Amino acid sequence: MTLAAQRSTAPGPSGAGPEVSAGAPGGGRTARLEPWVMGVAVAAAVAGAALGLNGVLRGWAWYPSVLTTVVAVAMAMAGLRALRLRGVVVAAGGLAALLFVLTSTFFRQHSIAGFIPSPDTVAQLPRYLRRASETVLAESSPVAPNAGIVLLACGVLGLLVILVDTLAVPLALPATSGLGILAILVVPAMVKPQSVGWLGFAAAAAGYLAILAASHWFHPNSRTRVDTARGPGQLRRAACTGAAALVLTLVFQLAIPGFDQGLFPQGSRLNPWGSASGLNPMISLGNNLRAPSGDGRITYATSATQAPYLRSVTVDNFDGDAWSPDDRDAGRRIGTGRMDPGTDSAAEEQLRVVTAVNAGQFTSPYLPVPYAPESVNGLTGRWSWDPATLSIKGVDTNSRNQQYVVTSVVPRLSRAVLAQAGSGAEGVSETFTRVPANVPPIVRQRAETVTAGSTTSYAKAMAIQTYLRSAEFSYSLQSPVQNGYDGNGLSVLADFLAQKSGYCIHFSSAMAVMARLEGIPSRIAVGYAPGRATGATVSVAGRGALPEYEVDARDAHAWPELYFEGVGWVAFEPTPSRGVVPAYAAEPSAPSGASTNENNDGLIPEADPRPSAAPAPAPLPVPAVGQGDQAAGRLVPVLYATGAAALLALLLASPALARAGMRRRRLKAAGGPDAAAAAWDELQDLAADYGVPPHASETPRHFAARLRGSAALGGPGSRDGEAAAAVSALTGDFERWRYGRPDASPASGDPAADRLLLVRRRLRERATWWARLRALWLPPSLAARWRHRAAGPRLAVTGLAGRAGLAGKTRNGAARPGSGLRGAARRLRGR
Amino acid sequence: MDYHRSTSVDEALPEPEGFAGARSPAPAAPALPPAMEPAAFHAATERILRAINTVIDGKAEAARLALTVLLAQGHLLLEDVPGVGKTLLAKTLARTIDCSVSRIQFTPDLLPSDVTGVSIYNQASRRFEFRPGAVFANIVIGDEINRASAKTQSALLECMEEHQVTVDGESYRLDEPFMVVATQNPIEMEGTYPLPEAQRDRFMARISMGYPDRDAELEMLETHQATSPLARVTAVVSADEVASMIATVQHVYVSRAIKEYTVALGRATRESGMLRLGASPRSMLQLLRAAKATAALEGRDFVLPDDVVSVAEPVLAHRIILDRKAAGTGETAQSVIRSIIAKVPVVQDNVRPAAPPAGR
Repeated sequence: MTLAAQRSTAPGPSGAGPEVSAGAPGGGRTARLEPWVMGVAVAAAVAGAALGLNGVLRGWAWYPSVLTTVVAVAMAMAGLRALRLRGVVVAAGGLAALLFVLTSTFFRQHSIAGFIPSPDTVAQLPRYLRRASETVLAESSPVAPNAGIVLLACGVLGLLVILVDTLAVPLALPATSGLGILAILVVPAMVKPQSVGWLGFAAAAAGYLAILAASHWFHPNSRTRVDTARGPGQLRRAACTGAAALVLTLVFQLAIPGFDQGLFPQGSRLNPWGSASGLNPMISLGNNLRAPSGDGRITYATSATQAPYLRSVTVDNFDGDAWSPDDRDAGRRIGTGRMDPGTDSAAEEQLRVVTAVNAGQFTSPYLPVPYAPESVNGLTGRWSWDPATLSIKGVDTNSRNQQYVVTSVVPRLSRAVLAQAGSGAEGVSETFTRVPANVPPIVRQRAETVTAGSTTSYAKAMAIQTYLRSAEFSYSLQSPVQNGYDGNGLSVLADFLAQKSGYCIHFSSAMAVMARLEGIPSRIAVGYAPGRATGATVSVAGRGALPEYEVDARDAHAWPELYFEGVGWVAFEPTPSRGVVPAYAAEPSAPSGASTNENNDGLIPEADPRPSAAPAPAPLPVPAVGQGDQAAGRLVPVLYATGAAALLALLLASPALARAGMRRRRLKAAGGPDAAAAAWDELQDLAADYGVPPHASETPRHFAARLRGSAALGGPGSRDGEAAAAVSALTGDFERWRYGRPDASPASGDPAADRLLLVRRRLRERATWWARLRALWLPPSLAARWRHRAAGPRLAVTGLAGRAGLAGKTRNGAARPGSGLRGAARRLRGR
Repeated sequence: MDYHRSTSVDEALPEPEGFAGARSPAPAAPALPPAMEPAAFHAATERILRAINTVIDGKAEAARLALTVLLAQGHLLLEDVPGVGKTLLAKTLARTIDCSVSRIQFTPDLLPSDVTGVSIYNQASRRFEFRPGAVFANIVIGDEINRASAKTQSALLECMEEHQVTVDGESYRLDEPFMVVATQNPIEMEGTYPLPEAQRDRFMARISMGYPDRDAELEMLETHQATSPLARVTAVVSADEVASMIATVQHVYVSRAIKEYTVALGRATRESGMLRLGASPRSMLQLLRAAKATAALEGRDFVLPDDVVSVAEPVLAHRIILDRKAAGTGETAQSVIRSIIAKVPVVQDNVRPAAPPAGR
């Protein structure tokens, strides 16, 4: 502001401003308005594009700060420009204004006079930046608008205002200034699954158009100004450009997979980092599930009768805005050869399951293994395991391209065992029982309602699972996104319980939190639901050939694990239509559950090497249902593709169809009064199709002679006297029709249609295959006709302009009686 | 030099009939003779052309064009270097028709009265009598027309335009058909009075004979050594026949499309940047008449654009004046007309918005 103030006083006394503007070619008043109009346009464009950031940042609380920054910077630059300062000074002034606004908004206490940065301000800055960095790394969108991230957004948007303004005004590249706006829009387009959204897009587009319009108004260049005078041409061009853009958008949308939602082509498919699941698997889970293609394919062969869940990590700390794995690096132990959780199980029997996993392209620091791993062999690199959760994490490596064999211990669990399990939390860390401080009331209230009447921990757990699997809840990957509670954290949980629609993260976290509220230790396991059999078998040392299964990103899953004293950690499946409900957790009343119980006493997974022992037990394997869903989902792109292909085919065939229709019409007309004209048109088009295009300045006779002499029809010394005669007859008829006496009877003889067909046959016979193909599918005559039609308005315009221009043109004076004398006088002088 | 005095050359369009009647002792313009049957017309033209071609070897095109001009009631200007047969063509054409022919050798001392005629005081009758000049003939051959003074040229030009002679306030109508075939020499300019544009405009067409090709020249040397070829030429059609042939030409139908095309051509010459002076409206009329004669010679009773195109160059080339810059780049009147023909669309109404509308 000080800079601005100093500058503003400088030209003031001299009084140069108004005089200069009065002498400016643009005229005083509009020229003085220009900086302000441009400033408003730039501010509108950037602030409008920033609307699209809603959804990247949660809520709207951040927007006033952004708006203040954008408007302040834009207006400061406009003010400096109104003082007719040089472009560099204006940009510098914009930077200064940005600095002041940011200081005033974020560091008011640590600055001089509330807006001038001081050393204290600089000292505060890293704190904000660290906060922003943490947010970016750890949270999934929409992130909470904390001070750090808002400061970052405001700063970047302010810089973009300077960029856009500098491009549009001093560099006179208003169209290029759209790059700055695009830079803003890219962020939501990449981060938000529903892309920019119509509001942000419309506002950004309106602002951009305002910039273009303002610069066009104040600095019309000669060419475009001429066009403005010719309304129709510009309107037509605008319509053509718009239509072409629309067509391209729609076509590209069909061509590029993934744009499958929303009013506009939208989608999260542009995200090139979709499969990278680095720090927080909870964040990438939703995106993985929504991914259209199965990235990160993992194959595994197991000795269990059913494909087991693959677990890579657990989430146990439910505090904070976003949940993430607690690594407890201090407690981890190196070496995966032998892992002992140190807990005894009350289960009567334990089964050892051997699983050979090929992680393929799946990249994560956590290793996906079936629970509960006892030993992992074949890994490369150093790996550590957490005794509390049995999650296996690479120390200096990750899961990419790892091939390993896991031996896991599966307790035989049954309802009876679980029902007798204690309800205490002994033998388990306090981490798993701590109830977060800020549990939303709705969660607590639901937990109490649901578990009322249940006495044992098992009964309570079953009650919660039954509640979540009831018909009240629906499984949906999209509705959390659309309703703005995609993500994780307690507030999301409240939204989920209210909307009753979500996916595995919501179901599992709901069950985990409700269980803790009821005193049951819990955690969320993240990994993969049971996969699909590939049909192949893999030979594993000591176990023979084992059936192979595969999972990919679409099978990503989260499920709760509850701790029962004396039994250990037990997995539940509250998510409807995903995964497999373990027998011990199945509804006692459900017939399938009952049968399962009778058959194998509720074991999961049942370790039975004999394939014959697994005849249609167990609840319906849900992946089949999921596959059905996916099949239906896959059908939509297929339909789209079919439609697009049909459209494309129609588009390709349309010239041929149009040409054929035209020919049929003309042949039919060849019996009517204007037969000669129709036949002539057809003859000309035929000739054009086969490489003898008619010229406008050519007489019919000349054209016919050229056609007869051309290589396309006869040529010199050919046997096609017949075709040449037909051409001559058609020409004669046409000449008589067009130039002869109107009352003269038309010459008859062969019907024109026969002659035309003869000519066409000859042309086809003599043409190369390529010319034949082109004449059929892409007739040049049609192209010429379309071109002519498209050029019609332009010709009219140039014709008008030409006539207007003639008035001032005295070169050929004889053209007008008035200038004849002048012309004569000049001639006499010239003599 | 003040040739403007004797004739009103800057009048717009010719009105022969309207001008004729009032004070003329000569009979009024005769009613048009009946048109000929197509077959008879064709036979007559064939006879004429064959007769000409026996005299002048290898110049069938020039002969045909000369006949076209005759049938279109125009006048012909033959312009070429000496010795290529200009005068021979004119004489042959005249002799093939059984009609009165006169020949004027233009010299600098030729007087207007030598052309038009003079009133002589007849002492016996004590009255002035009109002695018709050389122009009173069906076909007038004006040799080396640019050698005469402008005054004398003008005297001829009034006759050409109006088909009448005015001497001492009396107008005398000329016989039909009336055609002036003038020759002039383009290179020998010393002591000549070149025809100004306004007067060249009176000639329907200008033909350059050009040198004969090798075979034709050989043939000529072979046959024409001893005798003059003209001696063998006899009249093949009568004047009456020619009159009805002219009537036939006048009956040729001109469609609106042709008129539009003709007008478009004329306007294009006026708007061309390469021309200082475009084609006049009179030249448009003459172009159309020549096109009609061409169509009739082709045996058609309607005009085609081809007819217009085929006569456009001889009809227009001598009326337009090249821009200096265009002349500097090697353009000729012929080449400009060719390029204009190559540019103007034949079908005018399809692009009517683009082309200026016909007529004002």
